[in-house]
Formats: sequence, structure tokens, C-alpha cells
Amino acid sequence: MMNKEQRPTSLQVMEIERFALHDGPGIRSVVFLQGCPLRCPWCANPESQAFAPQLMHAAASCTLCGSCAAGCPQKAIAVFGGSFHIDRRRCLGCGTCVKTCPNHALHFSSASQSVEEILRVVARDDAYYQESGGGVTISGGEAFSQFPGLLALARALKDRNYHLCLETSGQAPLAHVKEIFPYIDLFLFDMKHLDSAKLRDTAHGLLSDIRANLEYICSQDPTRIILRVPVIPEFNYEPALLRQIADLAVSLGIPEIHYLPFHTLGKSKYEQLAIPYAYGEKKMLTRQDLIPFREYAKARGLIAKIGG
Amino acid sequence: MTKSIVEGSQNVEVSVKLPPEKSAQEQLAIMEEYTQVHQKSLSLSRERRELNCLKVIYPRLFRSIEEQDRFAGRLDFLPIGFGCVTSLGGVGHYCVFNKLRAMKDAFDTPAEKARIDALYEYWTGHDLKALYCEKVLTPDTTGRFIDCRYPFMATARLSGMMLHYDWLCEYGIDGLKEKVRAQLSRQPGNEYLQVSLETLTLFQTVADALRAMALKAQETAADRRREELSLICSSLSVIRSQPPQTFHQAIQLIWLYALLAGCINYGRMDDILGPYLVRDLESGLITRQEAHDYLKSLWTLIENRRTTVNGRIIVGGYGRKHPAEADEFARLAIEVTKECLYVEPQFTLRLTKDTPQDIIDMALDSLGKGATYPTLYNDEVNVPAVMHAMRLDREAAEQYVPFGCGEFVIQGQSIGTPNTLLNLLKLLTITLNEGTDPFDGQYKAGPVTIPPADSFSTFDELYDTYKKLLDYYFDLSADAQYYSYEAMNQEVSFLFTSLLMDDCIQRGKALLDGGVRYLGGTNETYGNINTSDSLYAIKTLVYDRQVYRLSELVEAAAHNFVGYERMRQDLLDCGKYGNDLEEVDALANDLFLYAANGIRERGIQKGMQYYLIVISNNQTNTEWGRQTAASPDGRLSGMYMNPANNPQGGADKSGPTAVLNSLRRFEAKYHGGSVQNIKFTPNMFNQNREKIKALFRTYFKHGGCHLMVTVVDRGVLEDAQKHPEKYPNLIVRVSGFSAVFVHLERDVQDELLSRVLYDE
Repeated sequence: MMNKEQRPTSLQVMEIERFALHDGPGIRSVVFLQGCPLRCPWCANPESQAFAPQLMHAAASCTLCGSCAAGCPQKAIAVFGGSFHIDRRRCLGCGTCVKTCPNHALHFSSASQSVEEILRVVARDDAYYQESGGGVTISGGEAFSQFPGLLALARALKDRNYHLCLETSGQAPLAHVKEIFPYIDLFLFDMKHLDSAKLRDTAHGLLSDIRANLEYICSQDPTRIILRVPVIPEFNYEPALLRQIADLAVSLGIPEIHYLPFHTLGKSKYEQLAIPYAYGEKKMLTRQDLIPFREYAKARGLIAKIGG
Repeated sequence: MTKSIVEGSQNVEVSVKLPPEKSAQEQLAIMEEYTQVHQKSLSLSRERRELNCLKVIYPRLFRSIEEQDRFAGRLDFLPIGFGCVTSLGGVGHYCVFNKLRAMKDAFDTPAEKARIDALYEYWTGHDLKALYCEKVLTPDTTGRFIDCRYPFMATARLSGMMLHYDWLCEYGIDGLKEKVRAQLSRQPGNEYLQVSLETLTLFQTVADALRAMALKAQETAADRRREELSLICSSLSVIRSQPPQTFHQAIQLIWLYALLAGCINYGRMDDILGPYLVRDLESGLITRQEAHDYLKSLWTLIENRRTTVNGRIIVGGYGRKHPAEADEFARLAIEVTKECLYVEPQFTLRLTKDTPQDIIDMALDSLGKGATYPTLYNDEVNVPAVMHAMRLDREAAEQYVPFGCGEFVIQGQSIGTPNTLLNLLKLLTITLNEGTDPFDGQYKAGPVTIPPADSFSTFDELYDTYKKLLDYYFDLSADAQYYSYEAMNQEVSFLFTSLLMDDCIQRGKALLDGGVRYLGGTNETYGNINTSDSLYAIKTLVYDRQVYRLSELVEAAAHNFVGYERMRQDLLDCGKYGNDLEEVDALANDLFLYAANGIRERGIQKGMQYYLIVISNNQTNTEWGRQTAASPDGRLSGMYMNPANNPQGGADKSGPTAVLNSLRRFEAKYHGGSVQNIKFTPNMFNQNREKIKALFRTYFKHGGCHLMVTVVDRGVLEDAQKHPEKYPNLIVRVSGFSAVFVHLERDVQDELLSRVLYDE
């Protein structure tokens, strides 16, 4: 699903977030990559799921002038009935509409960037990483879904001695995990559920793959993992399950666990993609809600935090 | 003299002053007496005239000691009197004409109103600033401060004086008299020295009068208050002649002297007061709570002077004689600042690589509470920078202190008053319009010939023509600054100020008469970033990508981009300063260097020790923006301009590291102070403290000279605009000063809102 002009050392980058504070130690830059094999219904970044860049439409800025529809060479856009419509199967991502829109109501979720371009951006904050013990984090989507680019980027970053974190759902071929392992200082590894049917049915995740990858890394060096648990109502917000996940960390020798409270801050992105958000009206969890689990993990000897 | 010269607001005045204590009748009588004495003294020396006039207002204009005051000394200002700066009264022998005229309303009879008219009439020929303006202002290039129709404004004032309070405490008044006498014996008949001696006697007269006031108040005071007043009495009776022996006496002495000198910045109080504080604490003379209460009272007295953009107290940094004791003072002062949440004093912390970590932590806690203080200055950058900028050795440079909105001066040794202000953006819009200001259609290019926009075949041709116009204005600026000193020197000696400045006594000369060791000056520049962003947009769209002709941009701007929305969007989409973009920041830096060096070289040629641009700010960026046409960075006509050397609000979209990287591009050794604002939510600032510390540390290690921090919750400022009554004490950092948000004008508030707020 790569763009035609995309070279092997290029990646579909959604954003490079500078001064990121919650994705590994110190001050970091986070490179968010497009594409994810999972379909978590609570996902805060739905535009990151597809492998191709997604056209996002901000209704608040749109005047329904129709210049996007008029200019689209694929006739993928239509404006009628007081709203904007896109046929994503037709869209080739040429970007004509984004340039044509007089109101900046349209943008793509990601753009192709070469490893060199990414390096140039992250290098601007070298001094901050050094001072704070920070570095670079690669995230997604699921970063493994752009594996050749991911590997090239990780190698290039490690060549330059960056402290490198990889944030992953763990949904990746074991061979890829093995190949990238030497370049990663710290995996921020999601563990969402311990029931394979529940994980598969809710999020399209394969627990066997995820466990295998987790266990591989632990067999090499469990201190290179922070286990991250997004705590989601009606999915895994169950005391027994959350305790089991902490127990798993203990049994694998993973020293640290983070609980990430469910939030709906990504809601407007669903609107911009014109897709329904099953979790849109659910109540956000607070830090307070997660304190018992943090305390449990601490009692089990883990370093435990709420939030990143 | 035209009304427009003498009338009109003359200073940023956000905080409302307390009304004078004396009745309107008494005020009128005092102003008449002042005027008569001035008139009678016209044939006398300016020193004698000044002292005679000072005797009219001192001690008479002192207010009663208020119940909560732990020190004596509150001073009123009338529309006629003597001063140094426009934020308290006026400059030299002054008349604030609009306030005088407004006083007429307080009087009923035609006879009384006529008395005011007579004063008005007299002072149009004698108000120092009016005399200056008459010489310097022009119909098309140079306006009065603040008359924002002009690209250039000039004024006469003696801002930012910070005195040798260390001498005051070391020698005491009698000791100073001795020094003056000794010099007088070497220069017999020196009028300046002779009058200076009597000036010190006037100090004593005032101290005695305040003591009498305190004694009288004791008669009706309850027990505890009686003790407090008794302490004030005893301190006054010591410091009227002797050097202070205690913390309380030292504060009382410095405070009273600063009042009489009309000085509204106080300087490095830590090094001066620290030893007294530590000694009194160690000997058990006072408890820490008492010390805290004294300082809080001083902070309150400073706040009550309401100078809006001054009131600097500086702690920390190189060049202190008593660093350990000074740090003790700093700790106490941070505590008090955090407790008070006042807009003044502008409490300032100078950082070095050796600043104790607990002081840094306390400072960040105070900022995290929303105090906006301390503002942070980085000595590792600033001391070497000042050495170059002001052509000083390290020892002198270590005594740099920021005053007012952030201009540097050397405490006790230099003058650095910003008497000139340039609007770089207005000058660019004039360049784009053949010398005519598109805002009002007036020609403002003086003798500089500017061809039509499309005749610039390259970007450099345009840029060079703009620089020619700048050159012309730089010439005006250096002349106006220098002349402000000559004009002030013709009329006054600033007797109290001169006494505590190197090398007035030694030379037997008043400050501006050849007395001051370093005659410096500063020129405030505005719209710097709008200008460089505009130039970058022009370079990109007209010359590199050739999307538009320059005349099309000019035409669109003339229509305030109405009907040209697409073009405005293209302009806004061009790279903007504050995003750590190499090319954009390089152009900003190039413009900075051109302005900085242009001003500096002209100052040196004029014979000044230094004359530097300051990219400081008060709210003039907004006020001047109101009368500046739409610009090619996409800014609309009448909209605020960028604050200090920060990005235009909202133009920086790449996070705090990017904006700080852009900010540190401007090398500090070419300017005399530049202001950098940053705004965080309490959540971001307080929950991630170690990372925030690393952020600041990195910025400072890599050339960042300064930072001022506002911590405010998202939505709070918006809500305060809608419901001001709910936020009487919400303090924000405007740029060179802090203010109660709801006291600011609407578009100044809007400008603050436009700035990026960093949140999680």
C-alpha cells in the first residue's frame, strides 16, 4: 500500500511531535507512523489505522464552497445535502483538494518523509535530549507495519547514538522484532488483554503473536520493556484482569508498568473521517480510577505509573 | 506649542494610582508655589533651581504612614512637579498637561479654573519634555511618545536608573556629605557639589518629618502598632545621618532615598540587604517571620507606587560581594513574591551555573503558582554579551541589571534610558508603498527615494531599499537619543540620582553634565518578527516561487486582504519565525543584526558608551499595531504586532523546543536586552517539572539569555474577558511587565490570548 513515489528509505509520517513528555524518558521527539493492523474501537488516532494517508475534513472550517469537488481529478469528492462526501476508494491521495481548499479544511493524515528528513527534524532538539536524558520514540499507528522504513530509521537513529524507544502494540512478526531488537533501547509495549478471543474479536489482535514477541524481548532483556496498559471501559477495566497483567510483568521480569486511562480526546478525528466512534460517548477514566491498580503493581514490586 | 505635543498619554499606565491625599485646593496651592519658585529661580543655576523646587514638594507630598506599613514613605505626585520618569509624575520640572486640565473639573469657580489655566500657560514654555519635543518632533517622521501614527517616537526621560545603594548603606548620609565636602575642598565653588550637600540635608529634613509623622501616629496606636511605629522612628533617627545597622534600617534608608530620587527600579537588593538580614537573624534581633513581614511591606510599598513597567528588584548572579547572604535574601524574597502575587516589584532572578538548586526550585514553584515572577536572566550569556555590547570589562558587566521592560543598565554606573522607539514593520509598509504610509496616506520616507514595488527586480533590491530607509531613521534615532540628554542637562541635574552614581561626586559634575561613568542608551524596536516574516513571505512568493508580483501583495494589503483571502492564506502558510526553521530564522537574524549594528554604531559615533536596540516590549506592540497597515506576513491592518522578539501569536506551531531554538538565534552581544515570553498551563508546568527544568536548562546552556514565564490554565483568560469581575487578581506577563489581566485593554488581552499556551 505504499505510495508510488515512496522510496524504501521513506516512511509515511503522520507527525513528528517535538517536546513529547510521555513516551519514554526525558524530553523526546515522537515520530508517528501511519498504518496499524489492529482495530481498537476506542482508538484515539483512527486516521492512523489505514496504511494509506487519509483525507481529513474539518467541518468547522468548511464553507461547502465545493472547490475541492470541482478540482478533484478522480471525482472522489462531492458536496451535496449540506455536507462533504469522499469516496475513499477513488482517492489516490494526489492532494489537489488540499491545495485548492481556500479555508484549510482539508489535510492528509500523513506524508512521505525520507529517513534523512526525519533525522533533520529530530536533530534540532539534540541538546534537549542530552540535557534531559531523552531521545527519539517511534510510534504509530503500529510502527512495525512500515517495517523496512522502520528498520532503516531505527538504524540511522542508533548510528547517531539516540536513545531510541519503540512504542508498539506488539502485533508484528517475530522475525521483525528480532531484527529491530538491537537498535531499541526501550520498548513501550502495549498489553491490552490476556484473553485471545476477546482481543481478537474486539481489536483484531492476535494474542499469541503479541505474547511471543513480548517473551522474546524478555528473554533477551526484560528491563528494556515498559508494559503499557490502556485501561478501557467494557474491555479490560476489570480488577482481576488488570492484576493479572501486572502479574505477567512480574513473571517476565519486566520492571515497569504504565496504566493509561481511557479518554475521548480523539473524537473530532472520527468526525473528520466521517466514521462512527463507538466509544465517543463513553465516560473518560480519571487518574483516580486507576490508583488501585497502580498500588497493586507497586505492591508487587513494579515501578508503576498512571499516564506515560 | 501645539496641543498635540504637550497633551496625550505619555506612558503605559495600566495600574491605577492611588489618588493624592491632599485636597484639590492644597494640590493647587502646592503646584502654584512650585511654579513660582521655578519662575523665581530661572536666573539661578539649574542645580539651585532644582533644589529650591524640591523643597516645595518634599516633604510636603508624603502621605501618611498606613496601618500596615512597616516603613515610612509614601509619596504623591501632582500634575506639576519634579521627577525622572513619565510613570511617576514626569521628567525634570514637569507638567502633565492632560492631568492638569482634568483637575479643572475639581474646581467650581472661574477664578480657580483661571489659576489652573495660568499654570498650564507657564508650563507650556517650561515643561522639560515639551521643550524637548518642540525641537525633535517633525510632522512626518518623528512622533511624541506615545503617538503611534509615526514610525519613530522619541521622548526625554531618565528611565531605569539603579543607584549605588551600597554606598548609601556603607557611608550613610553623613558619610556621603563628607565625600561631597572633600571633593568640594578640591573644587571650591563647585555649584553642583555645593547644592548636592544641601540636597543631602533635604533628605534629613524629610527623614525628620516622617519621624514626626510616625511619632504622632503612635499617640493613637494600639500596643502592637505602637511598637512598630516606634521601630520606624528609631530607624529614621539612625538613618537620617548614620549608616544603617539593621535590616530594618537598611530597607528604610534605601526606600526613602529611592523615593526622593524618583527612582522606580531598585537593583540588586540581595547583595545589599542580605548581610543585614543574615546578621539580624543570627543575632536574634529579628525572627524569620519578622524579616518576611518587612519584605512584604516593602513589596507592598513598591506595588502601591504603581509604575506598571518598572519596580525591578534583582537577585542572584555574578559580581556580588556577599553571595551567601545575598542568596538568603533571595530565598526570602521568592517566598514573599510567591505569597504576594503582585504585579510589582518585577522580581528578577539572575542565574549562573552556580545558582543553588533550591533557589531555582523555589523560583519555579513561584512561577508554577502563577506569580509570573521571578523573570529569569542567564548570566552565562548576558555578562559576556554586555561586555561586548557596552564595551566594558567583566567586572563592570557583572553589574548589569535589567530595568523596566528588560533593558540592561550597569547599576550605579550607566544610563540606559530608552528614549527612542522604532516600528520596523511600519517602515517596511512604507518601503512597499513608495514612501507613503498605507495606513494614513502620509509620506514618511524623508529624503529616501523609494521606487514603485514592481521595480525591485530582486529580493535584495527591495531589502536594500528598506535598509536605506532604516538608515535614515537610525540617524534620527541616534540624534534624538543624544539630544534627550542635552535637553535634560540644560534644565536639571537630577541631584539625588547623581549623588549615587559613578563618577558624579569625583568629577564634581551632575549625571548628564559629564558625571555619569557610562553614558549609554537604548532604542526599543517593534514589529521585528512581523517584518522578517513579511520579508520571508515576499522572498518566497514573489521572488523564489514567483506566485505573485510584489505590487499584487501591496494591493491586497491595501485592501486588508478583503477579496484576497487566498493570497493571505498563502502568506500565512509561508514559514514563520518561532518554528525553528533555518531559512526563516536566518532572515530574522539578518534583520536583527542590521538594526542592532546600525543603532550601536551610530551611538558610538555620537560619543555614547553604548546605544543598543532592545527588543523589549510593554504593550506598545499592540498600541502601535493599531496604526500599522496590513503586512505581507498576513497580519491584518490595526492588528497587534508580535511581542518583543517572540513570534506573532499563534504562528509558532512546533512546540516549546522549536520556539526556544528560534529565540536563541539572536546573539545577545548585539542588543541591550530582549524579552522572551513562554506560557504554560499549570498541568504542563507543574506535573512535568523535571522536564521543564531540563527545557530551560538546555535553552540557557545554548545561548538563551532570558525567559519570562506565565503559567495559566486553558480557558481562564478567555473566561476573564467575559467575566472580569471573577478575576480581580489574575496576573499575566504582558512582555516587559506583568499586569492584572482584566486591567488591560481588550486588544492587549487579545494579543496575550493569541500566544501559544503549552499544554499536555
